[in-house]
Amino acid sequence: MQIEKFKTISSTNKKAKEMSSLGVAPWTVVVSEVQENGYGRKGEAWYSPLGGLYFSIILPRGNIEDLQTITILAAFIVAKVIKESFNVEPLIKLPNDVLLNGKKICGILTENVIGSDVKLSVIGIGIDTNIENFPIELKDIATSLKMELGHEVDNEKLLEKIITELKNQFKTISE
Amino acid sequence: MDFKIKIKNKEYQVELKEDGKAVKVKVGGKEFVFGSNKGLIEVQATTKKDSSKEIISSLSGVIIEIFIKEGEKVKSGKKFLTLSAMKMENEIVAENDCKVKKILVKENQQVKEGEVLIILE
Repeated sequence: MQIEKFKTISSTNKKAKEMSSLGVAPWTVVVSEVQENGYGRKGEAWYSPLGGLYFSIILPRGNIEDLQTITILAAFIVAKVIKESFNVEPLIKLPNDVLLNGKKICGILTENVIGSDVKLSVIGIGIDTNIENFPIELKDIATSLKMELGHEVDNEKLLEKIITELKNQFKTISE
Repeated sequence: MDFKIKIKNKEYQVELKEDGKAVKVKVGGKEFVFGSNKGLIEVQATTKKDSSKEIISSLSGVIIEIFIKEGEKVKSGKKFLTLSAMKMENEIVAENDCKVKKILVKENQQVKEGEVLIILE
């Protein structure tokens, strides 16, 4: 698994799109400890301080239906891995969010670049893992694993589990 | 020769060309060829559209942002617009260097698959 690690980056999706356009191999993962301009759907800011898990995966070129399926599957996979790893009950809010105790814990954004066909695709996943507190405007709608569990979690292990599951699922839908 | 015809308040752009013994008439993207040997009876209609001149939505969704202006010269790979569709965000980019003739959509507009979004020169 090729993982490109950064301390700080503008956005992992942005970086993954740049890398993909330069020919970097599919399934390369871009992960950053901090995102300065992390974003979700419609350009909405994604709070990305130190402690969270922010990563993007360069997806293999696929048809648009497969890409939509993997986007929806990603929410299920994140919820499944969190449930199995920490014995909690996450809720999937389709298409792109995972909630824990009624608050958002994960956001997913797939971006495609389309000309005469799909040129490149990346999927970005942001998980509030070890965030200790949120700004006032997010306090009622966001939470973190650390806040819910009362202890830190291993971001690297979580990343590896999610990517392995996503790769396996992608194989099943595109074969 | 280019001219316009108005039929029942609808205007049609017509392009007329002489090509040897034939006359070519182009109306609304369709080309008709009239052979001279049998007068105007022998008509061959072609419906081939120059799709490279139109940016057509391959997905149904909502236009989030438009990054170009009418009359703008655009390089290959430049982002025309972002379309939110099928739970994803899709950047529609220029396949080749081109010039934007007309933008047929607005931000926040719902579009259907197959709908023409942009016309290029």
